Amino acid sequence: MGLVLGSREATPLEFWVGVEGDGLLRLDDLVVVEGFHPQVGRVRFFGMVDHVAKVHEGEGFDTDTFLAVEGKIPVSLAYVAHVSVTRILPEEFFPPDPGSPAYLAQGEDLELALYYEAMKNQRGSTKLPAGLLKNGEVAYLNLEFLNGVKGGHVNISGISGVAAKTSYATFLLKSLLESGVLEDAHQAKVLLFNVKGEDLFFLDKPNARLTEEARKAYARLGLPATPFGSVAFLAPPKKEGYLPDVDTRLEGVKAYHWDLVQFCQRGLLPFLFADRGLMTNLGFLVAHVTEKLRRLAEGQKGPHLLVEDWPGGEASEGMSFEQLGKARLKSFSDLVRYLEFKLLGPESGEGEGDRGWTARQAKGTLEAFVRRLRASVENLGHLLRGDRPGNPPDPLKGEQVHVVDLAKLSPQAQMFVVGSLLKDLFERKERGQYRGRVFIVLDELNKYAPRDEESPIKDVLLDIAERGRSLGVILIGAQQTASEVERRVVGNAAIRVVGRLDAAEAERPEYRYLPASFRQRALILPQGAVILHQPEIPVPLLVHFPFPAWATKREEVLEDNSAEALRREFLG
Amino acid sequence: MAWRLLRLEPASLQEELPSSPEPEGFHPLEAPWEAKRGGGASWPEPLYFVDGRERAEALVAQGPRLALLGCVAAGAVVLKGGRTGFLDLRVRRVGVGLEGALWAGELVYEPVPSLGEGLEGLWAGLRAAREALEKEVAEGLEGGLLVVDGPVRLLREGPLLGYIKTHWAHYLPKEQEALLEALAPGERTPAFRVRRKGLELASWYLRLPLPPEGVRPPLAGLLRVETPLHGPFLELADLSLGLFPALASHPVKDPRAPQNLLPVGGLERELGRRMGRLEVVGRMLARHLGGGR
Repeated sequence: MGLVLGSREATPLEFWVGVEGDGLLRLDDLVVVEGFHPQVGRVRFFGMVDHVAKVHEGEGFDTDTFLAVEGKIPVSLAYVAHVSVTRILPEEFFPPDPGSPAYLAQGEDLELALYYEAMKNQRGSTKLPAGLLKNGEVAYLNLEFLNGVKGGHVNISGISGVAAKTSYATFLLKSLLESGVLEDAHQAKVLLFNVKGEDLFFLDKPNARLTEEARKAYARLGLPATPFGSVAFLAPPKKEGYLPDVDTRLEGVKAYHWDLVQFCQRGLLPFLFADRGLMTNLGFLVAHVTEKLRRLAEGQKGPHLLVEDWPGGEASEGMSFEQLGKARLKSFSDLVRYLEFKLLGPESGEGEGDRGWTARQAKGTLEAFVRRLRASVENLGHLLRGDRPGNPPDPLKGEQVHVVDLAKLSPQAQMFVVGSLLKDLFERKERGQYRGRVFIVLDELNKYAPRDEESPIKDVLLDIAERGRSLGVILIGAQQTASEVERRVVGNAAIRVVGRLDAAEAERPEYRYLPASFRQRALILPQGAVILHQPEIPVPLLVHFPFPAWATKREEVLEDNSAEALRREFLG
Repeated sequence: MAWRLLRLEPASLQEELPSSPEPEGFHPLEAPWEAKRGGGASWPEPLYFVDGRERAEALVAQGPRLALLGCVAAGAVVLKGGRTGFLDLRVRRVGVGLEGALWAGELVYEPVPSLGEGLEGLWAGLRAAREALEKEVAEGLEGGLLVVDGPVRLLREGPLLGYIKTHWAHYLPKEQEALLEALAPGERTPAFRVRRKGLELASWYLRLPLPPEGVRPPLAGLLRVETPLHGPFLELADLSLGLFPALASHPVKDPRAPQNLLPVGGLERELGRRMGRLEVVGRMLARHLGGGR
């Protein structure tokens, strides 16, 4: 293929290769060079091409090229490639000799170059298909760095719209669940948050646009080109009524909400206060009220919350006394009004709140708390209800994949849903209530775990990032800009994926783990390609992943009109 | 007794003395004596350029005897089908005045005879070795038009042009020489006859473009071209007006512009590259021939 150049420094960690004649070396090609020294014997240098160039050598003037094209001067074309060494076998760090032949690494050499042969444990291979390399070979990542054994969590960066983050996350899930590499894949559960559009609402439908080529790619990866088999779709209800608020998918979507008793018992109140950290007094009050509500709801079955000391005369319509003298709180706004009463006293007059609830906080703090609660009624009234038994998403039960829609929710409600679900999930894993692994896919991490702000939801995410991998909770997080996400959340991800980046973003320190040439390439990544970085391989890999086998929008759904399908639809 | 290094890079010892023989009897081949234009003819294919280089690398001594170690190289550039390429590049290390080959590490200097006495003779021997190598290259070329750097010294089947870049010799009487100053770029003098060492040649001067135009010494941009007299010299003279100005180098890029033609410049660079770095050669010579035990 070529020779190690002597005109430029050849070092054990990087060297240049000159390409001869019709030879072809491209970016990302893997090469192997053999070195020999009488004292250490044969040493092989494996490396990846990260820079290629052609130049008319010896020509000092740019305009010489014109003369060469006119046939007036003879020129010598040099074709050189820079190789970053990924591995030296055995580990003898001496430089290869200039003039040593360089070969394309294929087959076994390729496995050595990319450490594939080390990706195994006592039970077998842990090579998880993660896409295809340019030369058509499968790119693997070590499952042990994803499932929590040696490392966990995935972080995906990339600007939106170039179909990388969500597509790659779902592709990775497909590989996790169906490649057979993850041993207890049947026990694994997935919680996917759908943050925009309804992209993820057709995961269980075959994609009509899937080409033959993409099918072959799936076959090469050892994955079935099929949609996800076991998916539950959950969407928030419409503001009026109980129907799920979705536009494109009408069947098979369930509405989710919490009832007031669940809200109190599970202590979800803090997730209504995204900016808790700004005022410590308020934070204290929130914790206190959460605890009071928890005690209040103890033993109640719901969906409505029964309270004893609600002055009936001031209750609004819809309120009625029960035989036991308790009042029912039948909606979130009722609860808010009840809390207002407990904290600030009756609306009429300058009364004082219940001392048991106010926790000696100043009136200003109490008022701020109530103001915030009131403001959230509009955002969350339809998610927190007292008129129907709650059915919040439970990703640990039923279908393997749960898609929870957030797209139509206000930011406050999104925070609430994500925070409540993750907290609940994490607590149950902590208590050992579910044995299988749980994968959480969450886009827009910059919103949920921002670098500069404190919020209860960030605490949960940090908890997952830092302790999750040992508990089997794996976060597949994504964001447009990693620089805006809490460092510890990104830093704990063993696998990092970069889709196309914004030019300014690519220069930030968060991406310094990428060599300069990859940062440059991140600006021009095409659809269906990402840069994959994993701890074991010292260079990132540029991988292509196939077009989704599942539909990502209504138009892509492959309609199954066979008699069998129709019978199933009508007869259930 | 072994050969020992006397001096590296002996080129500085040589004083270049231009020999300027007086013109023999002037004999014009065209009349009247006035500037001529032309150059519309298309270039023949293939078009060959042959050139060589010589380099004195060291002066070695064995007792009172001296020998000059040098490197000569020659090669050809071919223009064919709108592309240029190298052909038959040869490099040879020679020791002028040696009796047997001399090894200095990986370098081998083959013996060639000295031509004359003393240093002059050694240098003449080196030049002769270079000319011999050029001749070897030129003889290997078939068909087409051959353009050699320097005066015509050999004869071949096909058409042949030699060109001389510097003009120490006066071929024209004073009266005719006045025309040289009046030549505009792309014009030539009428052809005249030159006799040298038994060769009958036709020769003419032509003016190359030398930007920026303006006041220049009369010899700037002047090229003397010669071709065997028995060939179609008038046709070639016309062709040369189209050929040489098109291949003239630019003063920004080449201190010997415009006479140093572009393909030849490229050839010389390539030959220089193949001769190896003088510093490296010197180091090897010093190691192997530089005294000690």
